[in-house]
Parts: sequence; structure tokens; C-alpha cells
Amino acid sequence: MRAVRRAADGLIGLSATIGALGLFVETGVILIDVIGRAFGSPLFGSQDVITMTMVVVVFGGMALCDRVGGHIGVDIFEARYPDWLNRWIDIVSALLGAAIFAAIAWAVWESSKISQMLNLSTNLIGLPKAWFQWALAGFSALTALGLLLRAAELTATGRDVRKDDTRLTDSPA
Amino acid sequence: EELSFANFTPPFHTINASVIEKLNADLSEATGGELTVRGYHGGELGAGPVEQYVRVLQGVADMGWGLPGYTSSQFGKTMIAEMPNAIPLDAPGYEALWAAYDEISGEFPGTVPLALWTSEPNIFIMKDHDIRTPADLEGLKIRVAGATAAEVASAMGATPVQMPINQVYNALQTGLIDGVITGASTLSDFKLDEVANSYTLGANLGRLVFWTVMTEAKYDSLTDEQRAALDSVSGMPLSQSAEEAWNATADAALEAARASGDNTVIDLSDAEIAAFAEAVAAVTDAYVAEVDGEAALAAMKGE
Amino acid sequence: MSAELTGTLGIVVLLVLLLLRVPVAFAMFAVGFAGITILQNVSSAMALLASESFTLASSPELVIIPLFILMGNVASATGMSRQLYDAAYAIVGQIRGGLASATVIGCGGFAALSGSSVASALTMGKVSLAEMDRFDYDKRLSTGVVAAGGTLGILIPPSTGFVIYAILTEQSIGRLFLAGVLPGLLLLTSFVTAIAIICLLRPGAGPRGPSTTMSEKARAIAGALPILTVILLTIGGIYGGLFSPVEAAGVGAGAVILYGAVTRRLSFRILFQSARDSVVTTATVMLILIAAHMINPFLALSHIPTFVGEALLGLELSRLGTLAVILAVYLVLGCFLEGFAMLVLTLPIFFPVVLDLGIDPIWFGVLVVLTLEMGLISPPVGLNVFIVKSVAPSVPLGDIFRGVIPFWLAMLATLLMLIAFPQISLFLPDTMMN
Ligand code: NA
Ligand code: NA
Repeated sequence: MRAVRRAADGLIGLSATIGALGLFVETGVILIDVIGRAFGSPLFGSQDVITMTMVVVVFGGMALCDRVGGHIGVDIFEARYPDWLNRWIDIVSALLGAAIFAAIAWAVWESSKISQMLNLSTNLIGLPKAWFQWALAGFSALTALGLLLRAAELTATGRDVRKDDTRLTDSPA
Repeated sequence: EELSFANFTPPFHTINASVIEKLNADLSEATGGELTVRGYHGGELGAGPVEQYVRVLQGVADMGWGLPGYTSSQFGKTMIAEMPNAIPLDAPGYEALWAAYDEISGEFPGTVPLALWTSEPNIFIMKDHDIRTPADLEGLKIRVAGATAAEVASAMGATPVQMPINQVYNALQTGLIDGVITGASTLSDFKLDEVANSYTLGANLGRLVFWTVMTEAKYDSLTDEQRAALDSVSGMPLSQSAEEAWNATADAALEAARASGDNTVIDLSDAEIAAFAEAVAAVTDAYVAEVDGEAALAAMKGE
Repeated sequence: MSAELTGTLGIVVLLVLLLLRVPVAFAMFAVGFAGITILQNVSSAMALLASESFTLASSPELVIIPLFILMGNVASATGMSRQLYDAAYAIVGQIRGGLASATVIGCGGFAALSGSSVASALTMGKVSLAEMDRFDYDKRLSTGVVAAGGTLGILIPPSTGFVIYAILTEQSIGRLFLAGVLPGLLLLTSFVTAIAIICLLRPGAGPRGPSTTMSEKARAIAGALPILTVILLTIGGIYGGLFSPVEAAGVGAGAVILYGAVTRRLSFRILFQSARDSVVTTATVMLILIAAHMINPFLALSHIPTFVGEALLGLELSRLGTLAVILAVYLVLGCFLEGFAMLVLTLPIFFPVVLDLGIDPIWFGVLVVLTLEMGLISPPVGLNVFIVKSVAPSVPLGDIFRGVIPFWLAMLATLLMLIAFPQISLFLPDTMMN
């Protein structure tokens, strides 16, 4: 299980790194566009790049978000529930999350075939929509695997990676 | 059976009375109440205009409407109708589109087009700038939605700025953009009349195209009688209803703009119109050649 | 099973899942997906899952979220937030709860920049929560302040809430923006009053700081000049027509990164870390937004909003009675639904009634938007509270909800005042636009 966890953490870190780079791209493109526009020559297709990169930013961080316990639950009654119930809730929630992200990955993958059939691309510089749907599907599939692994760890060893002392975000990718 | 119609705009929008409610009334009458249409407004069945075609194709809704301009790469030949001078200003756009139906129907896979129509002609909607010649646009920032619109703006010397239509109000107000080239119905639909103060009419700057489609699978599942009834109330009559409603909205908005004292409304002379036509002619020609659309254009022009 | 019953059952299941502390987004996905499958079919549910995920993740409006988060993170990492709060502390620190009041005023200022409550709560949370912690402010107070203060974002123009209301009801955006100004300031004042009362009852919540001399104050303000410059640059850029509010987020992020690089306060490693943290917070927020968009079509298909609206009309109440019931319905629905979705689902039903009764549509718009904002901080689905939780993961959600109570009451008081005195909303639009 440890080796699987190490490999998974590597991929999760890589996914978030890609998302973080996307965020720098967003910032840079906006700055270039705004400054260029002030001098009469905005960056052609900037909105195409910004909106498509946003897909990478949003879904790139999904796996890490779950890994560090970022998905918010209503914890008001947690202390009043018995330990066994809390444990079961954690396992079932993780499995539910895995199913949801697997469904997102599958649905978006299927939808990318339609995008190809309809030749869909962004309006100004023609970035193919399917590329970004593949990225979304890939990031979601990874998130589903992460959730599945978390459920397996909780079931087998009771380890909850979300409560690890060494937060993944504190180490470089 | 109740057919669902996905509408990404509010229920007060022109589309509701002219297409959704009309289709509901006509279809239920023609089928003796067997088929009705229910509108789901304001994006209830999914947000935004961009995914509308896919939404219908995948059967989230049985019917839906949209603009080819949001996914222009799918609608290469249909979009010819949006180009400057493709359709004369006083010619109905829906007749032109249906005349070219054989040329463009391949761009609607998996669905059955129930209505195809165009908006009122595009005009200049400006803030603090009067436009009488292409030279007046030199260096002005003009909001555009797509690549060909950007080329049209550039051809007249303007700087094209891409932004969603619902951000145009704020952008005009703060001076982020100087104007927008679109139909007059946006003056009331997006409240642009509150921030714009100069309008230039008469140049053929193209128009917007719209479609209403139905899932092919749903269409095929209807009985022969139901299908015949649907065919009889859709197509030309439905398209005409939509286009006339758009024109009426635009006319009312323009009338209000003229009546209000603090606006400049410029009606171009024939000579001035010719100058704009000349400035953008190459853009239309290049686009038609690029999408291999000579036959489609000829059909739209009734040639 | 009727569509309405399926819808009601769906809400019950959603409640149970939430109380069982299933992550909010997962619970909404599950209920929305199952509900659409029952009312329509599984292929529709799958298609919506795909289109809503992609549409929201590529929305040109929502780009503002990751960019403002990045700006807030980098401002913290470079010490700019610290300088800002040192200045605020020097000026108002000796007043009990002074920093909390300063934060609410900051939220009001940020509201003039951003049209969204989510962006306001996120950015102000990133900038202020750790700082109030540093000066020993009670976490319930500090998180409550940010969750509630964020709601100013939509009352003080520019406001996406008013834009949507205007387009749904064919009202003037300009009038609505003007109508929001005085109520926004009134709400801000009642938040500050709430803070004063909290600190009177529990002096430990916002401890009094040492008094400072004029030169200490001046030095602290000088220290905060960099971040004040960035704030003025972004607000000035929007009103001066240099960039849109969405672009302002990118410009702001770029400016704080540039400042950090020039002053060597920002290593590449810390910058990268800030971006990764931003991506995680973005994921939290965006997943909840996407999940909310799976609940909307489910409820639309269940016809529950229509059902509620028609039941309401059947009551045949007076003008004020109808208004009270409508706002009460928004308060209840606001516990479960995302605000904009609620407007779209219900306004077509309520608005004609409102017009019939001769209720001023601009005034009604202000009341509705304020009520929606109360929904953003009321349990169990309080988006702004989740936002603050995503910024302050160590604070239990229950504490944040408890911390919000006084501010919720302040909003209720404001709402009652706005109902009693329509002039507060209508004075500016009537004098400036007629
Ligand atoms: Na605002
Ligand atoms: Na709520």
C-alpha cells in the first residue's frame, strides 16, 4: 500500500503543479492583454486562452484538494457520532466521491467525442475543445483513483491521509 | 406527451412568446393536445448558450435554441449569413437560410432544425463616439464575439476586444470599450440603451443567425401523424414568427433611442453606406472562400 | 411518484447526507444526479454532469475566483496583508473589535471592486483571517466577520446579483446599482454595530490593543503603502476603463507578485507554493458551484418552485403579507440553493405578483438580493461559510455558523429597516436618474 500511496502522491502533486502553472499562464495572459490594449494592440484570443486554461486550473487541483481534506463537510455533529459511524461515513463518502469523479471523467470523455464530431473549438484562435475535455477527464480520473485509494487505506489500516502531519503542499512537487 | 425546450435566457425574452409558446400552442392544436411544449428558462436545464446544441443532441432537452456564433467552428457555412453584405438589409434572413438549407443542413448532425432565422441587422452601438465613416472607428475599442467579427472590426481600423455580451454594459460604462457592433434588440435585452448614446444605422454589417433544433431520436420516435403535425407548424412559419419578433423588439428599442433626447442616431446616406461596404468586402469574400461556401452564399442570395 | 414528491424527497435526502457530514459537493452531486435520473433518465444526468463541469470550469466570469485567491495568497506570503493590518491596528486597535470593524470596512471596499460575494469572502478571508488571529481575535468573530462581510460584494455595485435580477425582470441595471449603495452602507453600519455589541458582551472576542502615537500611526500607514497602492490601482483601473473586474483580479495578482519579486520577499518556491494552495482552494469552491448546478435542473424538473409559487398566490394575502411570505420563501430556499439559481427558478413566478400588487420592482430587487445574501450564510448550505472554511480549514464549521449568527441578525434588522423605509433604497435612483 505504501508504494501505491507514494506513486499516487507523485501523480497528485504533478496534477496540482500543472494547475498552478495554469494559474501563472492566466495571470500572464491577462497582464499582456491589458497592457497591450492600453497601447491599442490587445492579445488576440486572450479570452480563449484564459477560459480554456481555467479548466486546467480548476480540475488540476481536484486530486490534491481531496488529498489534503479540502472538500468541505458539515462537521457540526462529528464529535457526537460514535467512532464506528464516523469511520463508515469517511469510507462511504470517499467511495461516493470516487464514483462521482469517475462519472465526471467518463461523461466528459464521451462528450469529447461529440466535440470532435461537431468540430468544436474556441471562437477566436480555434483551440479544440476536446483537448481540454481530455484534460478534465484525466484530472477527474486521477481524483477518483485518489479517493478510491483513500477508501482502501481507511478500510484496511484506518489511516486517513487527509490528517497526515506532512501536508503534501509543504513539499515541492 | 410534454416536450422540453431548453432556454438559456429569462422567460421574458423575445424567444419565449415567438417560438416556445407559439410552438406549444400550434403543436398542441395540430395534435389535438397529444404533444405540448414546456419551456425551461434561464438555463434551468443547464447553464449558458455555448452547450445548447450538445444539450439537445444528448437529449437533456428535446428542443433548444442557440446561436451558431457561440460555436462558430461547427457552423462554417451557416455563419455566412452573419457576414456583412451577405444578405441585403431588407431581405428576410430566414428565407435566405432555408433557401440554402441543402448546403448547410450537414452542420446540424443528430438534430432536426425546427427554425432558422436571423436577427435585425447589426448597427454601431457607441458611447461618446459618432460613426459616419470607417475612419471614425480608427483606434476605437469594439467588442466582438468571434473571429470573423474581429476581422470586420479590424478592417475598419478598430481594435477588436473579445468579451461575453453580459459584460458589455459595464465595459461601455467605464470606457473599457467604445462600442459594439450588434443588433438593436440588445439595447433592451442587455440594457445597453442605458450606457450607449450614439447609434449608426444603414451600413450592412451583417446580422446574427439563430437556430431551434430537436433531438433526432425524439423526432424519429413520434408517430407519423405527430411528425406531420410538427412539420406543419415548424420550419418556415416558426422561423418567420421568430424573426418578426426580433425585428419588433429591435424597432421598439430604436424608436425609444430616437425618442430619448440625449442620443445621437445617425442614418447613413447611400454614399456613406458604400464606404463601409467597400471597407469590409474583402473580409466576407475571404470567409466565403475559406469555408468553401460559394454555393451556400449564392443560395442565400436567391441566385 | 409525482415530480414534486421526488423533489421534496431529494431535499430530505440532501439534508440527511449533509448532517452525516458527507462533503457538501458530493452530497449535491449525488442527489442532483439521482433526481435527474429518476425524473428524466441516466443519459441526461450524465450529459448534464459533463456540460455543467466543463461550462463552469471554463466560465469567463468565474476566472475571477482563482485569480483573487492567488492575489490574497501572495499578499499574505509577501507580508503585504501584515502591513495592512499593522496599519489598521495602529489606527483602530485600541478600540475593542476595531480590527473586525476594519475588516468589514475592507470588505465594503473590496465590494466596490468585485461583483461577487464569493470573490469578496475568499480574498478578504485570505488577507484578514490570519492577521486577526495574530492579534488574538476570537476565531468565531473573525470568521463570522469575513463570511458576512463578503455579502456586501453583491449589494454595493458593481453586482452580478443586480445584473441578473435586472435582466430577469427587465429593470434598469443602473437604477439597481444606485439603489444598492445606501442599503450597502446601512448593512456595513449594522455589521460594525454588531461587532461593537459582541465585544461589549464578550470583551475577549476582540481584545483592545495598546494606544499609539501619531508618528507610530503614520509609520504604520507608510508601511501599508504598497498594498494600498495595489488596491487603488485595481479599483482605479476598473472605474477608469483600463480593465474589467475579472481582469482586475489578474492585474492585482500580477502586481503583488511583481512587488514580491522586486522587494525579494517572494522566492520562486514561495510563489509556487502560493499558486498550489490557490489551486486547492479553487477546487473546493468550484466543485461546490458545479454541484449546485446539478441540483438546479433537478429542482426545475421536479416543478417544486412553480408549486410553491402557485400555492403562495392561492393565499391571496395583502401587499405587505405577500412581500413577507416571498422573502420568507427566499430565506428557506436560501438554506439549500445557490442564490442565482434561486432567482431564475422563482422570479418568473413571484415577479408578476409583485408588479400586480404595485410593489416597486427596484425596491423589491434590493430586498431580494439582501435576502439571498442571508441564504449565503445560513446553514446547512451556506456558500460563504464554506468559502471561509476553505480559507480557514482548522476552524470547525459549527464555529463559523455560530460566529455568523449576530451578523445574520444584523442583516435581518437591515432588511426590516429597508422594508419599513423604501426611501433608503429608492432615494438615490429617484434623485439621480429622473
Ligand atoms: Na460589488
Ligand atoms: Na444557505
